[in-house]
Amino acid sequence: MTLHRKCFSWIPKCLLTRVSGTCRVHCAQRLYHRNVGLYTRQQNNRHETYSLSKFGHIGLRAFHGSQSLLLSKILSVEEIFSKPLMQEYLKKVEDEYDVCLKSLNTTDGERYNEEELSQKRTRVSVLTSLMQQIRDLKLKQKEFEETEALLKDNDPELRELAEMEREACLTAIEDMRQTILSLLVPAEESDMSDLVLEVTAGVGGQEAMLFTAEMFDMYQSYAAFQGWGFDILEYSPSELGGLRHGSASISGPLSYKKMKFEAGVHRVQRVPKTEKQGRVHTSTMTVAVLPQPTEITLTIQPKDLRIETKRASGAGGQHVNTTDSAVRIVHIPTGVVAECQQERSQLKNKETAMKVLRAKLYSMKLEEETSRRYQTRKLQIGTKGRSEKIRTYNFSQDRITDHRIGKTVHDVRGFLLGEDLLDDMSLSLQQFSEQETLLEVLGDNGS
Amino acid sequence: MVFRQKIFWRFLHQRNRVTLRQVSTASVVGEKVIAHISSKLTVQQALNQWAECFQVTGVSEPNLSSQHIIAHVLGHKTLNSLSKRGLTQVLSQPQVERIWKLCHKRLTRMPVQYVIEEWDFRDITLKMKPPVFIPRPETEELVSLVLADMEQRGGASRYPDTVDFLEVGCGSGAISLSLLQSQKQIRGMAIDQSAEAVALTRENAQSLGLHDRLTVSQVDVIKDADWLVKSCSRVGVLVSNPPYLFTEDLDSLAPEIQRYEDRAALDGGEQGMLVIDQILTLAPRLVTENG
Repeated sequence: MTLHRKCFSWIPKCLLTRVSGTCRVHCAQRLYHRNVGLYTRQQNNRHETYSLSKFGHIGLRAFHGSQSLLLSKILSVEEIFSKPLMQEYLKKVEDEYDVCLKSLNTTDGERYNEEELSQKRTRVSVLTSLMQQIRDLKLKQKEFEETEALLKDNDPELRELAEMEREACLTAIEDMRQTILSLLVPAEESDMSDLVLEVTAGVGGQEAMLFTAEMFDMYQSYAAFQGWGFDILEYSPSELGGLRHGSASISGPLSYKKMKFEAGVHRVQRVPKTEKQGRVHTSTMTVAVLPQPTEITLTIQPKDLRIETKRASGAGGQHVNTTDSAVRIVHIPTGVVAECQQERSQLKNKETAMKVLRAKLYSMKLEEETSRRYQTRKLQIGTKGRSEKIRTYNFSQDRITDHRIGKTVHDVRGFLLGEDLLDDMSLSLQQFSEQETLLEVLGDNGS
Repeated sequence: MVFRQKIFWRFLHQRNRVTLRQVSTASVVGEKVIAHISSKLTVQQALNQWAECFQVTGVSEPNLSSQHIIAHVLGHKTLNSLSKRGLTQVLSQPQVERIWKLCHKRLTRMPVQYVIEEWDFRDITLKMKPPVFIPRPETEELVSLVLADMEQRGGASRYPDTVDFLEVGCGSGAISLSLLQSQKQIRGMAIDQSAEAVALTRENAQSLGLHDRLTVSQVDVIKDADWLVKSCSRVGVLVSNPPYLFTEDLDSLAPEIQRYEDRAALDGGEQGMLVIDQILTLAPRLVTENG
C-alpha cells in the first residue's frame, strides 16, 4: 500500500461553502469511507474517537488572512473531486499547461525573454506528470461510463463481467485521484533532512523531569522502531533519575517528516512518584525539533563564529592542566549559541556543538521561509509551535489527546513505548498537515 | 597541609553523620584518611560529598574531578552516558572503596588524568602515567592542522617503508597515534628524551593496534642530534609540541603540574626556546624538500 493512498483518504467539507467565504460545520460527516477502510483497518482495534464537537468549536475560530478553516478529517476522495473548486483548479492547471507548452513550441516564444522561457519550461516539467494523471483519469472515467452502459445489457454473463470491470475501474479511478492529490501538494525540502531533538523539563519540578526522561526514552524507542540512528548529544540528569535537558541527533529516512509535529509543550496529568497524598498534578515538558541541514543547504563562515573554551581566559597550553573540555560556540551575526560538554575530548565537543548550531541556524532560516505559509495553520513548526500545548497525557483516565487535530488515543503505557501508537499519531498529524497544505494551494488559486 | 587534613577529617565525619547511617571504622594512615562506609550510598550522594570535599580542601575543578572519577569507577567516560536511573543507583562496596581510594589521590592534587590513568585525545583513549606529560586540548587543534596539511599534499608517500612523519617529544604518544589513527596508510617515528615516555607511547601504540606503524626511540634532540639525523631518513612532516615554558615560570604553576608532571617536558630554558631552537636547527636536515 503506497503512502499516498494512506494519506489521502479525506476531504475538507468546508470546500462546499468556500466560495461564500464562510465556513459552516456539517454535523453529518462521513468518518469512514470504504477506501479508508484500508487505512483504518489497523486502527480498528485501537480505541479511537474523533472529537467532532470539540473540533467544530475550534473550527469556527477566526483566522487572519487565509480562509482555511479545518475540521476533523473527512475521508472521501470522490467528494473532493466533485467539488466545483477542485474542478476549477484542475481546469486552470490544464490551461496553464497548454499555454506554456504553446509558448515554448511556437514562434511566439520569441516574444518572451530567456528568464520567462526557462520559468515556463520548469512549470511544464512540473505539470507534466500531473497532466498525465488527469488525462488517464478522464480516460478511465470514460471507460467507466461505458461499462455502466453494459450493465443494462440483457446477457447475465456480460452483466457479471461488466460488474467486475466497474469495480476495477472504480479502484483505478480512486488511485489516480489520490495520485493527483499527492501531486498537488508540494513536497517540503526539509522533509528529507535529519533532525536534532531537544527535550526540556517545564513546569512541575522533579515530576516534570521524570516525565521528560520518560518522553526521551519514548523517542529513543521510536527511533529504534523506525530503524533510525539515535545519538545522544546531551543528557543532564536530575537527582531522582529524571532529565532536566536532553538532546539527541536522529538520522534516518523521513525522520524529520515524522517527528516535526512532536514539537511543542506536552502536558501530563498523573499522581507523581514524589507525591505522598495521592493528588493529581499537572506538569509540562517541551520538545523542540530542529532539522539538520546538509553542507550545501547551509554554509557558515568560520569568521562568523566565536568558539569559547575554558582556556579563553589567561594562559593556556602547558601552563594549565584541566579536565574541562566544554565548548561553547556563538554565531556572532545572529547571536545563536550552542554548547556541549558531553565528551572528554574538546574536539569531539566542538564537533557536536557545531552540529547543534547548524541545526539551530537552519531551523531559523526555514522558519523565515515558511512562516508566512504556516501562519494560519493549526500544525505549527518552529519557535511559534514551541510554546503551544499540543498534547495531554492523562494517566488516571488513560488517554492521550492531541489538541491540534482533536485526536484521542487510549493506552498511555502503550503509547509511551514509542511504537505503533505513536506512529499512528504521527501519521494522522502528517495527513492533517497535508490537508492544510492542499487547502492553501486550492485557496490561493481559487478565491 | 595538616591543617587542611584536619578540616577534611572533621568535614567528612560531619557529612557521614548527616547522610549515612553508619560509619564503622575510620582510620588515619599517614597523610591519607580512609573512611569505610558500610551503608548504602547512591551515585548522586557520592558525587555531592566529594565535590564538597574537594571544594573545601581547595582542589581545582571540584565538581568535574568528582564526576570524572566516579564515572570512571562505574565504567563510563562521563556521567552523561549513564541511563536515567544512573544517578540514583546504589554503589556496591568495592565501588565505594575504589572511589574513595581514587578521590584520596586527587586530594593530593594529583591530576585527574593520572588518578584514573587514562584520558581522551581526539578520537582515541590513551593511558596516562606520571610523570609523562598529559596532552593538552590545544594540541588537538595542532593535529587537525597537520591532518589538513597532509590531505592537501595527497596523503601517504608512495613507498610503503618510508617514514612519513617524525614527532619530537611524543610524551604519551598523543600526536603520533592520533595521526596514525586518522590516516591509515602512513608510518611514523616518535622520539622522546624520557624513558618513561617512550615506554608509555609503546604501550599506547600496542593497545590501539598501531604499533606496527610507529617506531619509538629514546633520543635527546639536543644531545643526540647527530645520531638522529643519521638514523632517521628524511620525512615529509616534522611535528612537535615541545616544552616552551620559561624556567622562571615553572614554580608558579598549579600543584597538579608541579608535583606530578615531568619538569623536563615543560622547561624550555630561559626564553622557552631551547628545545624549539634545536628542532628548527635540525629541521632542514630532517625534512624533505617539500616537507
